[in-house]
Amino acid sequence: MGAEQAWLLAAVPAGMFVVLALFGRYLPRKGDFLGVLAIGTSFVLFFFVLHNFLNAGEANWPMTRDIRWSDIGAFHLRMGIAVDQITIVMFGVVTTVALMVNIFSIGYMKGEPRYWWFFAVLQLFAASMLMLVMADNLLLLYISWELVGACSFLLIGFYWEKRSATEAAKKAFITTRVGDVGLLIGIILLHKATGTFNIQAIIEQAKAGEIGSTYLFVSMCFVFLGAMGKSAQVPFHVWLPDAMEGPTPVSALIHAATMVVAGVYLTARMLPVFEVADGMMLIITLVGLTTALVTGFIALAQTDIKKVLAYSTVGQLGFMFVALGCGRPDAAMFHLMTHAFFKALLFLGSGSVIAATHHNQEMDKLGGLWKKMPITGTTFLVGSLALAGVVPLAGFWSKDEILAGTQTWSGGWVTIVLGFAAIMTAFYTTRLFIRTFLGKPLDQHVHDHTHESPAVMTLPLIFLAILAAISGLVVFNGVGKALGFPGGFTEFVFLEEPERYHIDWALAGGSVVLAVVGIYFSSWMYWGGSLVRSTRLAEFQPRIYEMLQRKFYFDELYQGAIDRGVLGFSYIVSWFDRYVVNDTGVDGSAQMTGYSGFLLKHLQTGKVPNYAMGIALGVVVLAAAGLVVRG
Amino acid sequence: MVPLDNYLVLSAIIFSIGVYGVLARRSAVLILMSVELMLNAVSLNFVAFAAYLDPTRITGAIFAVFVITVAAAEVGLALAIVIRLFRNRATANVDEAASLKW
Repeated sequence: MGAEQAWLLAAVPAGMFVVLALFGRYLPRKGDFLGVLAIGTSFVLFFFVLHNFLNAGEANWPMTRDIRWSDIGAFHLRMGIAVDQITIVMFGVVTTVALMVNIFSIGYMKGEPRYWWFFAVLQLFAASMLMLVMADNLLLLYISWELVGACSFLLIGFYWEKRSATEAAKKAFITTRVGDVGLLIGIILLHKATGTFNIQAIIEQAKAGEIGSTYLFVSMCFVFLGAMGKSAQVPFHVWLPDAMEGPTPVSALIHAATMVVAGVYLTARMLPVFEVADGMMLIITLVGLTTALVTGFIALAQTDIKKVLAYSTVGQLGFMFVALGCGRPDAAMFHLMTHAFFKALLFLGSGSVIAATHHNQEMDKLGGLWKKMPITGTTFLVGSLALAGVVPLAGFWSKDEILAGTQTWSGGWVTIVLGFAAIMTAFYTTRLFIRTFLGKPLDQHVHDHTHESPAVMTLPLIFLAILAAISGLVVFNGVGKALGFPGGFTEFVFLEEPERYHIDWALAGGSVVLAVVGIYFSSWMYWGGSLVRSTRLAEFQPRIYEMLQRKFYFDELYQGAIDRGVLGFSYIVSWFDRYVVNDTGVDGSAQMTGYSGFLLKHLQTGKVPNYAMGIALGVVVLAAAGLVVRG
Repeated sequence: MVPLDNYLVLSAIIFSIGVYGVLARRSAVLILMSVELMLNAVSLNFVAFAAYLDPTRITGAIFAVFVITVAAAEVGLALAIVIRLFRNRATANVDEAASLKW
């Protein structure tokens, strides 16, 4: 099997989706093992693809498989897959996390209604996501892009009996839709300019300067809009925290590790084009930076475990966009990979806590779970440290790479702002860990009923914890070579000239200091069983605290904008509809017809001779008219 | 040989009489008779033109035969209607059979 057969990776879960959706409920165990089997097959196939990909040698990258899809006149639509380094990384991330999440879900979703449907949609999601990352053209990418969005919608609204869940599902779908429309416009604009959907061809034409610079800038702005929507960048970030209404494994798979990074993937894939479009790189950097900062602040004051993790996810996506804006797709993809592992771990860990405490995810009722849940606690600690960026865990290396990349921007302001965001990351991560696992239990009743989760849930945690601990090491060329890659991770992924990884000790040291500062302040404030210091701080500046807790009033702002703008506009539209379209157009024409009928009905006398006279006169008139016309 | 014009003038006169009868008469039977006059005028036209244009062909005559057939059928149907009307209303005056109106 060559890498060209990589489409099998997506085909297996896609087929399983059909089986589970149709027959899942009749199968023994409601078909959960089939879900694990399908995604496990993809996981194994990934290694075959990887093996063949590496054996094929750099000269043959990317490996493509192209088919003609449809010919309409002079319009030739080609579909195909392309497997290159970025695709390989995404394959690895998606199949690994999806497999772990599927296994975890067996334990977490036990006894839930529509259990089979949950696994079915997970398969559809995995298939769509894998298709997305191997599409060689924007059209197929867009189809998969919408499919993962639909899966996200279905899974956020999985508990559709709950009003908040359906609201969150709608919010996620509509918010990302705004970006998706932008992406579609961008794709159409690019196709108009280049005559092709093929990503590689578009990149080549853009590099050759065949597209006008303003035109290119506008179309790439639209494409980036799609990436921002999907990856929940400010100002589209509002949907992701609400998406936590979905089951926790979904949050881990879709809203932390895979789907939300589709925007990062798309931007990385199209980065050569972004680089050609003047000013786009600065926009990308600024969007990422704003997001990292804003969500960092918000996460400081959230008390819901999953909300903290959600804001943290948005912030880390911001880090990735900063890396992309600095022209370092390797750093972005590297952080994407490590983040996928440790954030999936953290989400599954929080899922384990939630399941163990009977669906309690408020920090105000947790605390002191360390002794009750040693495995969850330990793995959660590993994930937290990786997120905080403590050496030598995965998050440290990737965050270090991004910070190193920011030095492209002169002045160092990007590095400083991002460094500050990194401190906040360490701070809220530590706060999350301390308030959940350490200190005194805040709600004794909840505490008493807590117990460690079963092995089906803890084993994925352990596996992901190992990955979160060591996956950062692939950055070293030696480790990369030992695994069969030509060079380290950065060299493998970098699409242009390879860049050797060399550790910048000053920066690495600085980055550790950032993490330690964040962790220290957080521990100082929250450790010790009492929350006196944090409460005092909150009371010291109640308005700032309130502002953070209310998420900078983004939701209120949007609600207000919708209330005033959209509802005001729809009031005008409804007035127009009611009085112009309905009263004048519809009712008016009906009344006119009725009135003319009222007048004209007297012509119908019922006397046949009158009609005969009408016919005769008509004939005379027609004959006369005919004579006049003929002359 | 009688020129074509004579036939056409005769046909026009008969047709006009028929039109006048249909419009002016009130008795259903007389109206039917007037219709017959109009049909015969048309038949006359057909035959005259046929003989004038190409005496070897009998297209016009065949048309006339068809017109006579249709006229016979029509009269058969129409007289039946008139009889029903007379049985119901005790009159054949079409002005009085005016209930089909607004």
